[in-house]
Amino acid sequence: MNFKAFLDSNEFIILDGAMGTMLQAKGMKPGETPELINIEKPQWTMDIHRSYMEAGSDIVYANTFGANRLKLAHCGKTPAELIPPAIENARKAVDGKALVALDIGPIGQLLEPTGSLTFEEAYELFKEEIIAGKDADLIVIETMTDLYETKAALLAAKENSDLPVICTMSFEQNQRTFVGCCPESMALTLEGLGADAIGVNCSLGPKELYPIVKKLSLWTSLPIVCKPNAGLPDPETGGYNVTPEEFAESAAELAELGVKIFGGCCGTDPEFIRVLSEKLSALKYHERETDIPAAVCSPENTVVIDQPRIIGERINPTGKKRFKEALINNDINYILGQALEQAKAGADILDVNVGLPDIDEGSMMISAVKSIQGITNLPLQIDSTIPDVLEKALRVYNGKPIVNSVNGEEKSLQNVLPLVKKYGAAVVGLTLDENGIPKKAEDRFKIAEKILARALELGIPRQDVYIDCLTLTASAEQAAVMETVKAVNMVKTRLGLKTVLGVSNISFGLPNRELVASNFLAMCLTNGLDLPIINPNIASMTGAVRAYKLLAGIDENCIDYIKAYNGVKVTTSVTGAASAEEKHSENELAYAVENGLKGEGAAITAKMLESTDPMEIIDKILVPSLDKIGQEFEKGKIFLPQLILSADAAQSCFEVIKQKLSESDSKPIIKGKVVLATVKGDIHDIGKNIVKVLLDNYGYQVIDLGKDVDPQSVVDAAIENDVRLVGLSALMTTTLGAMEDTIRLLHENNVNCKIVVGGAVLTPEYAKKIGADYYAKDANETVAAAKEIYG
Amino acid sequence: MEKIILDKINREEAFRYMAAEGYSPEGTMAELADECEQELIAAASPFYTYRVFEIAANDGEKVTLRDCPLVFEGKDISSLLKGCHSAVVMCATLGAGADLLIRKYQIENMAKAFIADAFASAAAEQVCNKFDELLKEKYPDKFITWRFSPGYGDFPLSIQRELLDVLNAGRLAGICVNKSGMLTPIKSVTAVCGISDSELPRGKRGCASCLLKGECAFRKRGTRCEF
Repeated sequence: MNFKAFLDSNEFIILDGAMGTMLQAKGMKPGETPELINIEKPQWTMDIHRSYMEAGSDIVYANTFGANRLKLAHCGKTPAELIPPAIENARKAVDGKALVALDIGPIGQLLEPTGSLTFEEAYELFKEEIIAGKDADLIVIETMTDLYETKAALLAAKENSDLPVICTMSFEQNQRTFVGCCPESMALTLEGLGADAIGVNCSLGPKELYPIVKKLSLWTSLPIVCKPNAGLPDPETGGYNVTPEEFAESAAELAELGVKIFGGCCGTDPEFIRVLSEKLSALKYHERETDIPAAVCSPENTVVIDQPRIIGERINPTGKKRFKEALINNDINYILGQALEQAKAGADILDVNVGLPDIDEGSMMISAVKSIQGITNLPLQIDSTIPDVLEKALRVYNGKPIVNSVNGEEKSLQNVLPLVKKYGAAVVGLTLDENGIPKKAEDRFKIAEKILARALELGIPRQDVYIDCLTLTASAEQAAVMETVKAVNMVKTRLGLKTVLGVSNISFGLPNRELVASNFLAMCLTNGLDLPIINPNIASMTGAVRAYKLLAGIDENCIDYIKAYNGVKVTTSVTGAASAEEKHSENELAYAVENGLKGEGAAITAKMLESTDPMEIIDKILVPSLDKIGQEFEKGKIFLPQLILSADAAQSCFEVIKQKLSESDSKPIIKGKVVLATVKGDIHDIGKNIVKVLLDNYGYQVIDLGKDVDPQSVVDAAIENDVRLVGLSALMTTTLGAMEDTIRLLHENNVNCKIVVGGAVLTPEYAKKIGADYYAKDANETVAAAKEIYG
Repeated sequence: MEKIILDKINREEAFRYMAAEGYSPEGTMAELADECEQELIAAASPFYTYRVFEIAANDGEKVTLRDCPLVFEGKDISSLLKGCHSAVVMCATLGAGADLLIRKYQIENMAKAFIADAFASAAAEQVCNKFDELLKEKYPDKFITWRFSPGYGDFPLSIQRELLDVLNAGRLAGICVNKSGMLTPIKSVTAVCGISDSELPRGKRGCASCLLKGECAFRKRGTRCEF
């Protein structure tokens, strides 16, 4: 019987129990490499597999859990050397009476952004294992705690093998994995990516896993796997606290939740499997009914579309000079600032569009998606007209995103829907086709029907198709407004699909745009709009959604509304802008900077810009204030946190000035360019980032290469940007070597620049020894070096 | 295993990490510090795990253990464990949530990032101190040395990976190590300490035995890190 036949039967599937526990019982010591046993003592693993098979296992896991190139590096073996013998041993041992699974565990290094391993590197490591394990009957990806890593493994499995794939993750008692993934997000993401069965293993005993499995059962239609530990471990002895009988008893309870596939993890042995198998043989598996809600997710956050949810539209360069400038300069932090601002203002989902003719949209999209998901847990809506860009983003997105968009044109349906299916996304369907946007609601409805039919044909679930009935500008096509509203209503009531709509366009060209837009938004919400795409920073727009939820009885007891507005002074302006009646003077701005008053600083700057030249504000107020603070810091009158606070406040003033300059097409003020990097192998970059803020403030353009930066990248960036100063940081003694390598490479390439270094373990002597020109003990000293070079 | 709950962060310690010893924040800084403390406590999921192994041999250069392939190399660790019958291998972490919070702050507000980073270091130390207390409760009649981490003295950082393997730390605590021996999540610690039946000589702790004694920022300012 093959695995798919097992899945289709009404029997439970029995997996094996622990491998590590059994190997330790045979004499393997903690910390030894279990996979070496495949070639050094094959009899051990064969004995274990055979005893599991005899105890009732339908599937045994080959001894390949940690057989990835990185984990094996210290023992000098490769996956290709250790995986095939592991599978062969298992095959021989079970002699056709059980299936053999290629077992894939975590790589053992954390992925970006917490760790330094990239998604792409993880994919390659898993691919190597999957190719080496091609002779197995199925692939098991297990004990995962990072959804991103699980996705890399599952994608590698789907793209490099035809074998069925089981994915199980390890949750803690707070129903989260170590890195914060929740069962809902796991289910939505992995089912979407095409896993054949999903579930939980390790970390807890069967009783503790019950609530987690229960949640999982509500969020997936796939068969559920449960492979618990034998209870909880005692750190002293390494022993576990559940007996085989108790284990089997709990498994029977789990079976009622719809678990189909059972086994044991740490602490279990063939006796556990024998008792489990006996217990379950008396029961029948019943397929469960599921009704998965429409939802998208990041690993930590599942957004259910059971009520209006705001999609923030601000990450989009259209009509925004400052945003375009940020894209051209690769200024990711500006984009991240936009993400956090919208999250704070009440966005539930963020649209990400980085399309600009002058840049490589694909690589910018990858970098934007990776960076944004590194700092916010809002799910993303990937927005591009180019299918290749969509696919790049879909690969690296961590969770279940929305694709924006497909439309009724044949070319679009053919290019976009297969991507949506492959990566398990939701999709926005625009009601337009080869003939443009139909005037009548009925015709837009027909396109919606067509898009839905094509999506269903490909196996995209109905609840993942969101229809955009398209907003036309009221000032230009007044009659079209009510057609849009009507179409929203038709799609919602007749097709039962979720609806999405870019709202802001409605008021284009009109005075008092907010008034028109917020009323249109309210009309659409009443007619069934689920996903308004708006600028959440505009209080009246976010407010319209909150008020609708209150009035429609969605916000029970008005809790969210009161939370949002209780005690808030209501203004009609965009959040963060200055109010007109306040009077400001130069002294006030200096005071704000020196005292670290960020909001006030920005507001005063905005007001002053109405009548004062930007350069005058910079030269006469901001820079002298920073200098004063810097000197006080040098003298020990103020402390480092205060210096940073002032720098931060000054930065918010500079941001207002940059915005103003980009609007008026003035050239940005750049005193000189500086490349900054935290060296290869080093992932602690907060010090470098503080330096960046200060350099920014003094008008230097910082080319920030980030952390864990390859020496060659530093050389390339220094040459390409023709910089006269490179700043390098390293935190640990072990990464000072990489700093030295980077400096050497800069010198070997005759890069005409000075080098400033800093970091906790550096000394002026050491800096000199490795060839640096300046040693900076703090951010202030780096500024001093820049001043010396650029003036 | 008792769960560690973090309800308050040692600010005095945290401001020392910020090179602001003796500074008592007021105004904006005090507000930011309060916010950082609350948000960090909410974001962190403190966790520790440990194993105890009998010491098989200690020749002053290296220490071997019974039923464990770990070998502690170096004079410093050997000297620390001299007279001890067992070695405790431990790891602790604040979890990936603390890293995420600090990353987010770096975009929103660098001052908060700086404060939260130092608060998180202080919190990680608090988790370790709590572990020390739990260990003392577990061995009321024994004497326990201070914690010694890879990278201190001549105890090589390269042992990080093996320590984590022995503790099954990836699986139990989500702690991993990268190529340069740095732990992830960033606010994570590994350490070894010894258990002895008899009282331990003093001086197994302090600046004289510290790797950083020549270049320590605290000593340059005339203070100590109080480790």
